[in-house]
Amino acid sequence: MSFRSGSSLRKSLFAVFAAFTTLTSTCHAVEDIAWRHSAAQGGVILSANPLGAAQRTAFYLARGFSEPTIKPYAHACGFSFGMRNTGPGPVRTTLADWQAVGTGGRRVRLRLPAEWDTQWAKAQVPEAARIAFRWAQFQAENSFEAGDWIMGMATLDAPLPGNFRLVARYHDEKGEHEVVIDKLACAND
Amino acid sequence: MSAVTALSPAPSLALPDIDGKTVDLASYRGKLVLVNFWATWCPPCRKEFPSLGRVRKIFTPSEFEVLAVNVGEDPETVFSFTGTSDFPVLFDRDAQAMARWPVKGLPTTLVVDRQGRLALRAVGGREFDDPAIVTQLMELLKQGRT
Repeated sequence: MSFRSGSSLRKSLFAVFAAFTTLTSTCHAVEDIAWRHSAAQGGVILSANPLGAAQRTAFYLARGFSEPTIKPYAHACGFSFGMRNTGPGPVRTTLADWQAVGTGGRRVRLRLPAEWDTQWAKAQVPEAARIAFRWAQFQAENSFEAGDWIMGMATLDAPLPGNFRLVARYHDEKGEHEVVIDKLACAND
Repeated sequence: MSAVTALSPAPSLALPDIDGKTVDLASYRGKLVLVNFWATWCPPCRKEFPSLGRVRKIFTPSEFEVLAVNVGEDPETVFSFTGTSDFPVLFDRDAQAMARWPVKGLPTTLVVDRQGRLALRAVGGREFDDPAIVTQLMELLKQGRT
């Protein structure tokens, strides 16, 4: 059995943490993740970190993607999102119900993981890499019991320059709600 | 951890460990089994992993076991993180076994009771030796004793 060299493993581990966290100052820390943006509504806390192309490229190269294949994903406006249910009952959220709203009112949806996976299948990405990608995304359908939380990556379906609001709809026992993160922006790199 | 409503039988789980030996969840009937789905690239998975070993030490081996199911990765990648583990680390390389379980993201952890039913679930990282979780596990053990 051969093992990775220490140097390549260190690079891979750095890419893992760089892709899911930021090294800048934080305004909120949940579960030891340094989140740059957070909002709370009812029993839901939504957090976000913009992700740059370099971070995501390094992460997915380490998962088995080639640089040309992952390039459109890495260069799309992307984030690491975290969502936590601090309420007493179950919460459901569907990524298809989230929208980014620009200052001029332009609305952009989030690209669903399955849409990217269709591209990976066409590009004949190795199965192990596709599995890692699938589970590193913020899932299309999420259900959280009290105390549950999840994090994952996602991208906007189109560029949205400047600051925008991220409106994330969710359902709990009382009905439908929105949690909004204001002044979000794509990473600059 | 949340109670799984409508106690249903745990899905099948028979996967190779790091030595290639098949480990079958069914062989643990009569014990409480904590099944953790994880990956080395998942930060909350990595953070909670040591607590799997700690919670295992709280209980007797005849009553409790931990099965850590790695999703989609190869043994050398996993071993670089885990080293030699006190509990079985299983390899679901094609994620097909996980597809049969109610996994909502990584990490997801399910507790199978002594009768082989899904009893508790946690989505997202936990410290499994937290007193509240240990109390839940002890209660489940008491329920299963005849």
